[in-house]
Amino acid sequence: MSYATLFGGLFLAAAAVTSQAGAETISLWARSDDSTFMPKLVDAFNKSHETRVELQIVPVNELVQKYAIASAGGSAPDALSLDLIYTPAFASSGQLEDLTDLAKSLPYFSSLSPAHLSVGTFEGKIYGMPFSADASVLLWNKDLFKKAGLDPEKGPTTWAEIRADAEKVRALGADTYGYYFSGNCGGCNIFTFTPLIWASGGDIFSDGGKKATLDTPQMRDAIAFYQGMVKDRFVPAGARTDTGTNFFAAFATGKIGITPSGSFAIGALNGQYPNLHYGVTYLPGKTGGTSSFAGGDNFVVSKGTKKLGAIKEFLEYAYSLEGQTLLARNGSLPVRGDIAKQALADLDARYLIAADAMAKGRTPYSVVFNDLINSANGPWNTTLSKVLFADAGAIEPSLKEGDAAMQSIIDAAR
Amino acid sequence: MTANRDIVPSRRRPRRQWIGLLYIAPAIALVVAFFAVPLVMTAWMSLHNWPLIGRRRWIGFGNYLTLWNDHGFWNALQFTVFYTIAATIGLLAVGLALALFVERPRPGVNLYRTAFFLPVVVGFASASLLWAWLSNVDSGLFSPLAQLLGLTAAPYDLNADFTPAFWSVTLMVVWKMSGFYMVILMSGLQAVPADYHEAARIDGATWLQRFRYITLPLIRRPLALALILAVTGSMLAFDQFYIILAGGPQNQTVTAVYWIFNQSFVSFRLGYGAALSMVLLGILLILSLVQLRLLRSGEDGR
Repeated sequence: MSYATLFGGLFLAAAAVTSQAGAETISLWARSDDSTFMPKLVDAFNKSHETRVELQIVPVNELVQKYAIASAGGSAPDALSLDLIYTPAFASSGQLEDLTDLAKSLPYFSSLSPAHLSVGTFEGKIYGMPFSADASVLLWNKDLFKKAGLDPEKGPTTWAEIRADAEKVRALGADTYGYYFSGNCGGCNIFTFTPLIWASGGDIFSDGGKKATLDTPQMRDAIAFYQGMVKDRFVPAGARTDTGTNFFAAFATGKIGITPSGSFAIGALNGQYPNLHYGVTYLPGKTGGTSSFAGGDNFVVSKGTKKLGAIKEFLEYAYSLEGQTLLARNGSLPVRGDIAKQALADLDARYLIAADAMAKGRTPYSVVFNDLINSANGPWNTTLSKVLFADAGAIEPSLKEGDAAMQSIIDAAR
Repeated sequence: MTANRDIVPSRRRPRRQWIGLLYIAPAIALVVAFFAVPLVMTAWMSLHNWPLIGRRRWIGFGNYLTLWNDHGFWNALQFTVFYTIAATIGLLAVGLALALFVERPRPGVNLYRTAFFLPVVVGFASASLLWAWLSNVDSGLFSPLAQLLGLTAAPYDLNADFTPAFWSVTLMVVWKMSGFYMVILMSGLQAVPADYHEAARIDGATWLQRFRYITLPLIRRPLALALILAVTGSMLAFDQFYIILAGGPQNQTVTAVYWIFNQSFVSFRLGYGAALSMVLLGILLILSLVQLRLLRSGEDGR
């Protein structure tokens, strides 16, 4: 390379930098699960705004560690799209900027996803803003329902109906099963099993996450319901040790009648398995009622950033109809209730059920969520993976043991 | 050696020592950068309440006091020792058997050596993923194979109970690593002079007697090396139990390193994880010293 080209290149680079000098640049990190919608949203924003967003996608399992290291070294990104479940832990560590004023200045603040805001709030201040959303729902295979003599357009609405439908589908043949869940996956089961309990009027925590309440009548009933389907072999044997690998894949094989899953599955099934005919309905309570786990990302800002104005600009774009529609087309539900229907207007009608589930969805609040729930070796997963595949006699002692183990972790963290 | 040193003119010694130091400087630099510095940092961290996110706080030996009552860690350590015994016996027995099998040149021996060594170059994570897939009851190979052979009527989930799950993983490790021990022991076997065996054979010693009284004592050193490597490696086991079993069923296969990983990166308690690491390092040091001592005392008594 000649000196002339080298200097020419440097000159061009310098020119490029100066031309943007007026605009602010914010650095944003997002987890790899967001890699469908996030780059598209950022590109669209950058095309229409002076302000620049520099996006970095981080593998989902490394995000917390990477952020922690960057934060300790003073090189944390300005903002981060974080699995909402971690917001209490991050907020309590004092690393995040208080966004209460920013949030309340938005005219549509009251329409933002209440579940996201509830985990985004710590000691009365808002640290996490709703960004992307994924709600848990129940899927059923219409082809198998038809073959089994069931109405393919009608999904189950109570536990008894799930069981009856699963039994009919199971009767179709040796490798066709009625129901599937990942038996050794804490994250999967908090997402799809707790709504069964919520819809029946129970909860696994009380007192703002300070008390574990696994041992409730609703939880016992829900476990007995699953145990029954396992015992009668409506559920394939592999469910017991599935750590989440087949959470989506099992239903996609077309050999499973019913499975609890998430709204993310709608886009994935439509894209990858266009010949699979399925329906989407709410996760029901024992004798009716519905509930959902409101998942997704909260948008958080590193403490001490001087770019709140630019960050607000980006958030406002994401919350606009254009932004919400872009999100909805690329695998995330809208997080603004007042324009959710408009954002989903041109899309598969099954998204509307998911969006409705989202609006009524809940998110458990805990600063030690990872230890309690997500860890494969935490008390939630250990208790469920044991008791769901045991017999009725094991329910009560297991739940008591699980409560004690959870409580000791909660207490140790305070 | 002593006599030799006296002959060397004393004024030349310092210069030679400096040159020697220069020669080993790269090695020293590597050890300092990748062992000493991280070790001191780990020790420093272990004296803090050091969350992954948030502010650290000096707590002296607080982590070590917590550790004393941490049943989870001691259970994990107990399991790790159990696994180490099982894996070490398996690795050395199979490694030695393979070494005896491929020791002498004969037709096709290179093919066998390569075949036995091949799994060693597969990464532990890849081998574990392969095994996880093979042992999956719905989509794997083992369960349908067992059904085909009439060993079981219903699908059998190898990973659902402790005993089959544990031995299945140990078997994977033996399959994957015994080729490595085969190579170490083979070089030892080849160094045993053939005339010892010939003499013994003339005296009428059986194969077993020759193995017991000639081969074993003469491969003591490579055997000790293999033993220390197998014990240390097994005490640090993590990947296979994390990937294949996720520590299950019921947390019964959580190893010591797995527990440290959980404390550091699931519970975000880096300081505590560092304290656990220091304790594990101490235990490994003691184990290695004991093994070396046993080897030396054996040599003295010869």
